[in-house]
Formats: sequence, C-alpha cells, structure tokens
Amino acid sequence: MGKNVFSVPIFFIVFRETLEAAIIVSVLCGLVEQIAYDHNGLHRAPDSPDDKDSAEDLAAPPVLVSPEDAALRKRRFLRRMRWQIFAGSFVGLFIALAIGAAFIAVWFTKASNLWAKSEELWEGIFELIACIMIFVMGVTMLKMDRAKAKWRVKLQRAFDGQHVDGKAKSGKWVLFVLPMITVLREGMEAVIFVGGVSLGQPATSIPLAAVVGLICGLICGYIIYTFASRTTLTVFLVVMTNFILLIGAGLFSRAVWAFQEQRFNHLLGADVDDAGGDGPGSFDVRGNVWHLDCCNPDDNFDNSGWSLFNAIFGWTNSATLGSVLGYVFYWLAAIVTLVAMKWKEGRTKVLGRESAAGVRRRERAALARGDAEMAATDEKASA
Amino acid sequence: MRFALALLAAVSPVLAGVHEVWWNITYVQDANPDGLQPRRVIGVNGTWPPPPIDVQSTDDLVVHAYNSLDQPMTLHHHGMYFNSTTWMDGALAVSQCGIPPNKSFDYVVPISTSGQWGTYWIHSHAGGQYVDGLRAPIVIHPPTEKHAYDEEFTVVLGDWYHDEHSVLLSKFISIANPGGAEPVPDSALIYYAQNASYLGPIAGTHPDAVTSAVGFNENATLPFQPGKTYRLRIVNTSAFAMFFVWIDGHEMQIIEVDGTDVESYPTDLVTVTVAQRYSVLVTARNDTNANWAIHANMDTDMFDTVPEALNPNVTSSVTYNASASVTDLGFIDLYHDVDDIALVPLVVEPMLPSTRTIQLEVLFDTMDDGTNRAMFNGQTYVSPLVPTVLSEMTLGANATTASAYGPFSFVLNHLEVFDIVLQNGDAGKHPFHLHGHKFQIVQRSTDYTSDDPALNPPINETQVNPVRRDTVQVPSGEGVTLRVIADNPGAWIFHCHIEWHLEAGLAVTFLEAPLVAQARNTMPAAIVEQCEALSVPVSGNAAGHSDVADFSGWTLGPFQQNNGWHSKGIGAMAGCVLTAVLGMLTVVWYALGGHISEEEMEHEARVQQEAKARRGKLFGLIKPKN
Repeated sequence: MGKNVFSVPIFFIVFRETLEAAIIVSVLCGLVEQIAYDHNGLHRAPDSPDDKDSAEDLAAPPVLVSPEDAALRKRRFLRRMRWQIFAGSFVGLFIALAIGAAFIAVWFTKASNLWAKSEELWEGIFELIACIMIFVMGVTMLKMDRAKAKWRVKLQRAFDGQHVDGKAKSGKWVLFVLPMITVLREGMEAVIFVGGVSLGQPATSIPLAAVVGLICGLICGYIIYTFASRTTLTVFLVVMTNFILLIGAGLFSRAVWAFQEQRFNHLLGADVDDAGGDGPGSFDVRGNVWHLDCCNPDDNFDNSGWSLFNAIFGWTNSATLGSVLGYVFYWLAAIVTLVAMKWKEGRTKVLGRESAAGVRRRERAALARGDAEMAATDEKASA
Repeated sequence: MRFALALLAAVSPVLAGVHEVWWNITYVQDANPDGLQPRRVIGVNGTWPPPPIDVQSTDDLVVHAYNSLDQPMTLHHHGMYFNSTTWMDGALAVSQCGIPPNKSFDYVVPISTSGQWGTYWIHSHAGGQYVDGLRAPIVIHPPTEKHAYDEEFTVVLGDWYHDEHSVLLSKFISIANPGGAEPVPDSALIYYAQNASYLGPIAGTHPDAVTSAVGFNENATLPFQPGKTYRLRIVNTSAFAMFFVWIDGHEMQIIEVDGTDVESYPTDLVTVTVAQRYSVLVTARNDTNANWAIHANMDTDMFDTVPEALNPNVTSSVTYNASASVTDLGFIDLYHDVDDIALVPLVVEPMLPSTRTIQLEVLFDTMDDGTNRAMFNGQTYVSPLVPTVLSEMTLGANATTASAYGPFSFVLNHLEVFDIVLQNGDAGKHPFHLHGHKFQIVQRSTDYTSDDPALNPPINETQVNPVRRDTVQVPSGEGVTLRVIADNPGAWIFHCHIEWHLEAGLAVTFLEAPLVAQARNTMPAAIVEQCEALSVPVSGNAAGHSDVADFSGWTLGPFQQNNGWHSKGIGAMAGCVLTAVLGMLTVVWYALGGHISEEEMEHEARVQQEAKARRGKLFGLIKPKN
C-alpha cells in the first residue's frame, strides 16, 4: 500500500487539481491584462469598483484624460482586479480545504467503524476506484496545455453575458466570485478523489502527500503562467501523464489481485499469511503466473523497496493471471482512449475516417490557405 | 494349493487349536459412545465396538471376515508377523486389493509358529475405516506369564470424531488446507475389556442405547480389590492423538511394550502414542474408603486448534467401593515420553551388525497442486495400481528391481540386517510402524542434524539386548535408528500411523527377499479373484506392466513446488512491460502531431460553449451566470 508516510496517488491527485486551479488563475490574470489594455475591442470589462461609471457611461463618448492619468488608472485597475482574483482563489481554496478536512475526518472515523479496512475486498474496491479516477485524470491532464484557451473563451463569454444583460449586481465582484467558484469546484473534486483513494491508504500517508502535491501544483502553475512556452508544458504534461498512468495500471493490477486474494482467504477461512509466509502454501497455485519466495511488498519485516515498487508499478511477488491481465488491459484501455480522443479532436485519422472536428479543422485551414492565396493574388494583382 | 488351515492343523496337531471368529463387518447407525453426538460407525455383526479377541499363543487365529459395507475393506492384525504370507497382512494396495462388498476372506494368523504373545490389536487398513470404528484389541496369552499378577484388564483408548472419515479426509487433503492442519478430534474414549468381552457401564448410569453394553469414560470403571495386583493392557487405537495415562493414588510398572515383555520399569505416567501398546502392573491400595480417577489426557500439542467444545481429558475410575466418591487429583506436574530405549526385554535377542542403512527423512510441504502432503526423502507415497505383493510374486526375476514398485520402495536381501535411520524434519511428532516385524531401537538423537555427539550420538554397537517394538514415537527434529532382520520374505509397508499422514503419503514399502517369497508360498486364490472382481490388475510392476520401466497409466505426485522465475512468469512480465511502453509511446504520440494553434482551440472551445448553452444544462457547482 505504499510507504506509510507518503501516498503517491494522493500526491498526484492534489497536484493535478492545484495545477488546474493555478492555470485558471493565471489565465484570468492574463485575460484581465488583455482586457485592460484593449480599448477598441467589442467586449469591455466593467471598470474598477471605485469607478462610479455605470454601464451606460460606456456608451458615451470617451472622456479625455491625460496619458499619465490613464496609465495610473490602468495600473490601479489591474492591481484591484488581480487582488480580487487572488482573494477569490484563496477563499475558494480555504473553503475547499475546510470542507475537505471535515469530510475526510468524518469519513475516516465513521468509515473505519463500518468495515474492516484490512479486508482484501475493501482494499480491492478502493484501489479500483482510485485507478479509474487516475485514468480519467491522466488522460485529461494531457489537454491541460489547451486549458488557457478554453478558459479564456469561458471567461470572455462570462463577461460577455454580463455586459449584454446589463446586470450590475455581481459585476463588481465577478473577478472575485469566478475564481472562487472555480477553485472551490476544483478543490471539491480533489477532496472527493482524495476521499475515494485515501480509504485504501493509511491515514498517516495523506497529509504529507497532500501538502507536497499542493506546493508542487502551485509552483508548476506559476511556472506555466510565467514561461508560457507550450512545448515545455507539453513535455512536462506527457511525463506527468505517463507517471500517472503507470500508477493507475499498478493500482488496477493490485485491485484484481486483491479480489483474488479475498476469494482465496475466504476459501481457507483465515488470513493465508498465517499459514506459510512467502513460501508454498501462502498463495493459490491455481492461476498463479509467477511466485517468488522473496520480495513481498506486503511483508512487514523484509520490506526494502518492494512496497514502493508496489505503489508505483503494482509489483507483487505472487502474480495471478488476473493481475497480469489487469495491468495489460488498463494500458490497452488508455491507448484506445487516447487514440479516440485524438481522433475526436480532429488531429488524426483512424482507418482513413475523420471526426466532425477534424472536418471542421481541415475546412478552416483550407479556407485560411485560400484567403492567403487570394490575398497574395490580390496583392499581386493590385501590385 | 495348500489350504492354510489344514497345514496349520497338521504341523502341531496336539497343542495347536484354531481359534475362529466370524466377523460380519457392518455399518452401525446412531452410535453415541461419548454421549455427545450419534453417528454412523463401522462395527461387527451389527454391534459396536467390535468384540475383543482373546487367544492362546499356542493357538492359531482365523478371522472369517465378511464385508457388508459398500466399499472394499481389509483387516490388519497390527504387529503380527505373517511370516512369508504377506497376503494375510491386510494392508490395502500392499497385500491385497480389499475384500469387495458382499465377499468374504479368511485371515489366517499363525500365532502358534510366530513366537508372539502379548497385547496387539486388529483394525481396518483400507482408507480410514478404522477411524470410523473398525478396531478392537487382541490379547495373546502365553502358557505362563513372566510377571505375576492376579487379574488383568485391557484398557482401550481412542480419539473420537463426530464426522465420518471420508468427509474429514476431503477437507484435510484439499486446496483449502495448504498448511495441512489435521482435523481435530471431537472427544476421546476410554473403555475396558476382559476375557474377550467389554466391561459394561457402571450400574445406575444411562448410556446411549446402541452402545449400552459397554461402559465409556466416566460411565466405566475398573473394579479393584485391595491388595491385588492388576495388569492393565493399554492400547491406543486413535487416528491421531497421543494419550497420557496415569491413575491417581497408584503407581505403575511397565512390563510389556508392543508385545515384548520387559523388565519391570516404574513410571508415574504412561505416554502411549497411536497404535502402541503398554502393559503396566498396578498394585491396588489397601484402603477402600475412596475410589480413584484414571486419567487419559490427549496430547493437544499436535492439534491445530483446541476448540472450546473439546474436552481433551478423559477421566474414568477404579472402584474399590461402589458407594465411595472418586478422588481426582487433577493434573500431574510434567508430561513426558516413555524412555522406551531404556526398557530391557526379558527374552534376549542380540544386536547383530547391520550391513545396510536406509535413511528416511520426513518432510511435509504444500505441493504443486496446492494440497499439503507428507514425504519420505522428498517423495510422497502413491498407492500402486497392482498391490505390491502381487507385483513381487509375478515379476519373476525382475522382482528384485526396486523401482518396479515405485520410487518409494526398497528391496532387501534375505536375512540381511538393515538399519532404518528415521529423521523427523517436521514440526510434529510422529509414530512410525513397520509391518511384518519388530525392530530393535538401537539409537535415538535429540537433534538429527547436529554434529554434537551428545545430541546425535553414534550407534552403540555393544548393546546386548536393545528393546524391540513395532511402533516408535519420534518427536520433532529428532532421529531414531531401527535395526531389522529381513527374515520375512514379502512386501511390508512402513508408515506413520497417524491416519491423516498415511493418507497424505508418509509411507514406503520394503520388498524383502522377493525371489524367496516367490518360491516359498502360494497366495490364496481369493486374493487374485477379489482383485479381478474390483477390476484391479493383478500382475506386473506398480502400473501393471511386465516391463518394469513402463509406468504408463499410473500417475505419481503431487510434487513439491518449484517457484521462481520461469518461462510463464518471464513472458507475463515481458508482456506487462511491453504494454506499458506502448502506452507511454501512445501518450507521447497524442501530445505531439496534429498541432492545434491557439485560434483553433478558441474556436473549438466557442463551438462547445455554444452547444452547451443551447442544451441549457448546468453540471456540478452552478456557474454564477444565468
């Protein structure tokens, strides 16, 4: 079950959620800068709260102010908005943490009374839940480099709707409320994921992993905001996803193994570890693919690095057909999903067929090329 | 073909009589000797327990056994030599195929020419039938006893199960029992016999109907009279449990062990393991104001668990005065084994130098089929298709090839003196029994792996009269050397007498002087006829082939596991690594290529948002917009 001090799955969950929240916040900051300097765009952000100008005033002809005043007002505006964003984010984070801590505390105290956590059956179920969550997380993580664009569009629509409807009620506070709600949502996702995964982990392994995940997420989010190069981000995300999927595959393998172990324990009527340690008699010979008399990750005495190996790769010294096939099928599922995703985005063809998005992209690209050609021919013609 | 009965009558016409008993082996329903649970048992002539046999050493015994069960049956006269007539020994798959249902077989026990007397017993040697109750004591009286006593009783001890043996066996040898935990008895029995009949229950008790003629446990008692000396013949007829026996307020002297009279040896406690017999002399007290408890406690060390419901300690009594109460002094200070190597037989048989040593090391392990089995020298015993004695008699010159009988067989030369060096590498203690012989116990080690002569002494070849018996107890980690003279041509099995272990394969067979056996006697026709009636092959090697190296049709095993990295595991690991690598490459492939620019992403995002707005649904936490 991993080291008792640091839970690897929880680290990745918290890291990923923090990263997404940090990206959102960075996008908001970037957006705000963009809007603040954009006088001629159709979409206008409402002014800072100090500014008493109402929406109607924006329709009036612009007031002439000196360039220095304008710059100062812009800077103050920016600072106010950024302050709102960060405040909203931190409030959201705080609420999420509070709810999360309360939820986990109740969950642990109540849940540990409900069933014997040492039962292989429960271990298997929790590992199964964890590996499904990790699968989803790993696969969507790869899209995070597009998060900026997605969020920019979302936020612009948000401001857009604001302007069109003319509702001033939350206009002042939209830059506070939006990040708060977003971070809160991401935080709740993290809490639920962590809650689901943490049932299989010893309680002592959760706090350190969560905190480290949080810190790493913040750092990475800041890096993404500052160094906006997409290539480094992509490489980073690829490495993270591979790691996450490795862990997920290991978890799935362990879940299947745990279910089979549960069945064998049930057959024997007692925990089979009592019978033979690591040697013959300690495992079910039916369906066994390999068995080593050493290197048992569950062994409390001779642990060495095997339990870490087990946490990351799902290593076991006594593999069953189920656990091996589980590992393989998890990866196959990941491969199939990734191919399907890439096809759906229109970036690849499968058996010569394109998705709807693919068709759109091709046509737009052709259009853009056609325009360029036409523009070139126009210039040539006009030249 | 010589009719064995006529031969015996001809040899000693004046002195030898023939004691005949007719046993119709039947099931008996609802026997409840311990008063805890009725069950079906295997009895004789519709009664249980089977009647004790009492015979003079100058007589021969013939047991006419008729099988009214629904499965083949045998009777083994434990400890009798059956010299050159293995087919009377009654060991299934070694000396016969078993008596088929509704058939009969005459066991001829040539006691008058065997030179044997003392305390023995008879029991089934087919499957676990003796555990289901087919067992009884045999007392053989010599013309004059070496020790003086006034009266004698036979004390029969046994562990008792409430379930039938076949049910327990399927749970014992099963993949659900990889540790090989033997079924724990449900209770214990002690009952008494004298002059070929059992002692009845104490007057005023209400024993169960089916076994009401016999007193068991606290419903049974030995009537003692002051000043008399009694001989108690203690027989352990258990499947599994060893018993510690003593009588409060009385001392005991061992005078016989497994049919060997010995110099009297005082002891406070008689520890008698499965299938052993001891005779003790007990002198009655002079006071009659109290009765005294007889303790027979099962040794629970060997039990996997001791359930709450089990009372392993049986208490019976000696009665001086019917109206007095029983004085029960409770436990003794220390359990210990009988130091049988220190006993001195009254009839001297010298210690001959041995010319062959056969080392047998005991091991139990979980095998490659998941069941737990027992092994001598890494080999678990599997019953041959052809009973071993039939192989010996039909293989002609090839009968001296040991491998023909299976990899757990040894061929011995006629009159060879050989040592069995038995080493108990298991965590439990085991009683080992050799058919067809008594062995001399010439050495014991407390640690057979040690180089220290204090723990593992060399054999003292200067002994003049080592003790002789047919069943020896070997504690865990210890060793014993048994010296035997191969003077009994035939096929003899050597095995642990704990029934569970015999069925788990803790046995080997000795083929003594096969060619002499072929020349000496002829098997009764019934042996071959009954095998054919059961569709069992009757000639050839263990698999029924005349080619001694051809074992097709006979499967050995299971074998010990061979764990580690083998082709299956390596292949599986390679497959896992391969799919992981492919998966990771797919991740890379996904992230690269078909590059989407910022504008395209925004466009796509807008398209999705518009689609969502059209759908008009909001998931998760509500966005702060309409």
